[in-house]
Amino acid sequence: MNGGYALELRSVRKHFPLRGLMARGRFVHAMDDIGFSLGAGESLALVGESGSGKTTTASVIARLYEHDSGSVVVDGEEIAAFRSRAEALRYRKKVQLIFQDPFGSLNPTHTIRQILERPILIHGLAKGKDELEARLREILEQVGLSPAGEYLRRFPHELSGGQRQRVNIARGFAVEPEIILADEPTSMLDVSIRMGVMNMMLDLKERRGVSYLYITHDLAGARYMCSRIAVMYAGMIMEIGPTDEVIQGAVHPYVRLLKAASPSPESGLARTRVAAKGEIPSLIDPPSGCRFHPRCPYATGGCSAAVPALRDIGGGHLVRCVLA
Amino acid sequence: MIRDFLKTLVSNRKSLAGICILGFFVMAAVLAPLLAPYAPKEDKTVRIVPIGEAAKTEERIAEEYPSDSEDLLTYRSTTVVEYQKRITYMPLKAKPSPQHPLGTNQAGHDILSQLLYGARVSLSVGLATGLFITLISLTLALLSGYLGGVVDDVISFVTNVMLVIPGLPLMIVIAAYVTMRGVMPIVLILGLTGWPYPTRVLRSQVLTLKNRDFVRVSKALGERTPFVVFREILPNMISIVMAEFFSASMSAILGEATLEFIGLGNVAVVSWGTILYWAQTNGALLSGAWWWFLPPGLCIALVGTSFVLINFAIDEISNPRLRKR
Amino acid sequence: MSDQAMLEVEGLVAGYGTKKGFVRAVDGVSFRLGKGRFLGIAGESGCGKSTLAYAIMRLLRDNARIESGRILFKGEDLATLEPEAMNGRRWTDMAMVFQSAMSALNPVLSVGEQLTDAVHAHRKVSRPEAVDLAVEMLRLVDINADRLKSYPHQLSGGMKQRVMIAMALILKPDLLIMDEPTTALDVVVQRSIIEKIDDLRKELGFSVIFITHDLSLLVEISDELAIMYAGRICEYGRSRELFDCPEHPYTEGLMNSFPTLSGPIVRMGGIDGHAPDLLSPPPGCRFAPRCPRAEADCSRVEPELRDLGDGRLCACPLGGRARRGGTR
Repeated sequence: MNGGYALELRSVRKHFPLRGLMARGRFVHAMDDIGFSLGAGESLALVGESGSGKTTTASVIARLYEHDSGSVVVDGEEIAAFRSRAEALRYRKKVQLIFQDPFGSLNPTHTIRQILERPILIHGLAKGKDELEARLREILEQVGLSPAGEYLRRFPHELSGGQRQRVNIARGFAVEPEIILADEPTSMLDVSIRMGVMNMMLDLKERRGVSYLYITHDLAGARYMCSRIAVMYAGMIMEIGPTDEVIQGAVHPYVRLLKAASPSPESGLARTRVAAKGEIPSLIDPPSGCRFHPRCPYATGGCSAAVPALRDIGGGHLVRCVLA
Repeated sequence: MIRDFLKTLVSNRKSLAGICILGFFVMAAVLAPLLAPYAPKEDKTVRIVPIGEAAKTEERIAEEYPSDSEDLLTYRSTTVVEYQKRITYMPLKAKPSPQHPLGTNQAGHDILSQLLYGARVSLSVGLATGLFITLISLTLALLSGYLGGVVDDVISFVTNVMLVIPGLPLMIVIAAYVTMRGVMPIVLILGLTGWPYPTRVLRSQVLTLKNRDFVRVSKALGERTPFVVFREILPNMISIVMAEFFSASMSAILGEATLEFIGLGNVAVVSWGTILYWAQTNGALLSGAWWWFLPPGLCIALVGTSFVLINFAIDEISNPRLRKR
Repeated sequence: MSDQAMLEVEGLVAGYGTKKGFVRAVDGVSFRLGKGRFLGIAGESGCGKSTLAYAIMRLLRDNARIESGRILFKGEDLATLEPEAMNGRRWTDMAMVFQSAMSALNPVLSVGEQLTDAVHAHRKVSRPEAVDLAVEMLRLVDINADRLKSYPHQLSGGMKQRVMIAMALILKPDLLIMDEPTTALDVVVQRSIIEKIDDLRKELGFSVIFITHDLSLLVEISDELAIMYAGRICEYGRSRELFDCPEHPYTEGLMNSFPTLSGPIVRMGGIDGHAPDLLSPPPGCRFAPRCPRAEADCSRVEPELRDLGDGRLCACPLGGRARRGGTR
């Protein structure tokens, strides 16, 4: 059995083959040995910079891509290629994806009503026009867009960025999913709007009991939203565990670097120089062994030879480093 | 959305000019029977004038059935009318005059009337071909862009090959073999040689839209493929499809004129292109009969220009950055 | 604290003309920047901070203009300067690093060519001298000299940004204006760029105006902070003090919009509503519609930027002390 997890990944690998004459046999190593679990009603943050593979992870879980190997288990069922439309629909009702671009995620030629109706109609969640109407209004109120009638008849370009993102979130919740994959939902919003949207997401989680996989590059945001954090670098998970264990008690040098580089004005301490060297590697030819070793101040000879395994250092805190 | 679209079309000065020009020609074509002084192929006027009175003639008994009680006689009477039929042949290759504002061609047909009736053929062939090309290219673009994979490879390959083949020689070769009458062959020929370019353009648009977030969201919600294509992608392509339609129509009008000019169309049909053909074969250019070849050429150019002007506004709609502040 | 003002902006009004009227993106902004100081200008999109930067550099686009006010750079008013004279000032005395530097670099010219172009445009030097300057600047930003021949697409985002900085500093200006230079970069690269700017500032002695929406970053790196809202400065002061004791409700709301990396995890307030349309801004205080402490007068009287003493300016008459620390 799956131990009651809403979502569980085990050793998932996803490599994208490069097309073209010059690129035969080369791959983008987007995901390697990705494994984590997400309990019902729990929130897990997937933190990483660009090129870490976090968006690909969300896409694989949302079944926009098939993974190459490993297993993705949702509600105890291992998912594979959909064999029927009914199976696909059932899955799509359980797992929903919210993108970061509030404008790009909404079809500019559709009204808000049309946009929100689709998921409800596809999954047959309303019998009759009255129930449909009631559901539309309810979900708009829950994301803070009221009076609902005002918003239903508008087009996306008539709404502000924050409002559009709320519509996106409303759409995600309209099918009553169990798992929401939120890919940087606030990074394209104005600063003063972000907190409102984050708080609204926290409220919705409480009310609806969904699990969140919260993808972000912002460590502080991840800390605010989630009880557990997984840090990804160049396609692999480097450290995972309860939020403050990973942040305050970071073991992996990359996680320590990320923490040192993230702004934290409230700490009131003078910042120590970070002086990081190197850059995020390309996923096409990642470094051998531990992918962080070219930049790591503690790297030894063995670090380039073999990929360290994720080791449990207690309390659900796992680290992929020889220092653990 | 459609309202915004139409509003932008009308508010933009260039496209307004284009619409007016096009509208003018469409009206001229529709009202041709009313506006044209003659029928397009009329080369003579016939006047019939009766002379004198209607003369009565004799009565003749045709049949007789006598009997004792009753006589039945059938009479036949014929009336003879004398009249004069005056056939005035229209002047051949005449210069412009009050009877013939644009002169006449080699068979005495009034050129102005030909121009007006010819508008019907030229415009309808042009627009019909434009529609035909747009439908073919849109279908191929949607299939190849959205489905990708082998379908895309095959369609792209065929498209690229067709693009490389020079259009005009191809048209000429096909036209030389076609034996159908009327203008349908022209529509087909132009359609079959004109679809590759719009297909490429529309295909790129489909590819771009396919990767937009809202399409991926739609798939993630469980939307079926036909729905995604027609509800999500297609509505966002309307302006570029319309632009391609106008471009295709413009090339069709020019292409049709070209084919007819070189004699590969049906020279019995009256259209702007055939007027030019007859003008050319009858030495109008050499003799300087500008009233013969200039008007149809001008009409073709103006209609083409109107399409381009309309396309300016469509460009602005699809690319908001081009809009004037 | 140096009282020799490098830059003094007084009552600057700038904006752009639209079909519906003149939009005052910068509506009466005043501040002082000392020599070698680091001023951060924080605000959300549409608050006018970019327009302010471009106005100071006199790089506004065709339909934008400076309406009134003074920009005193080393005593000279830039707002009324002739274009010729301004060209002479630009890059030699003040330079700018633009937003999305990735697209500010010409893709068909090599890095070396773009750097030497910048030199030749303002100084009469020989080619070898210009190349030497370019090499020196690249070294200062930790880029190898053999990158002179590289094209922009061969560089990573962080490197391109550093090239932009090198280009801006190549003539050793006294003022560097940076418009959201790190927004598109990853966290670690962002930190390294910031640290590099700081090092260069200490080495070359220029003043910096750093414009961004990321307030949490600014608090750590800037000496003074100006908070802009809807075209106006609503608070100004030393960064650390502003963070610990914000006076203006907007500043307070902003400080309450950034999740923390340390300390207890508690629900934060954020700010309700959204920024006003600058074509028809709300009457009186522009923040009043969103302000939790607004009173009736706030929508009637336009507040002035008041000097609260000790280097703090605040445009809110209600400014009450808000303590940070334990109560969060």
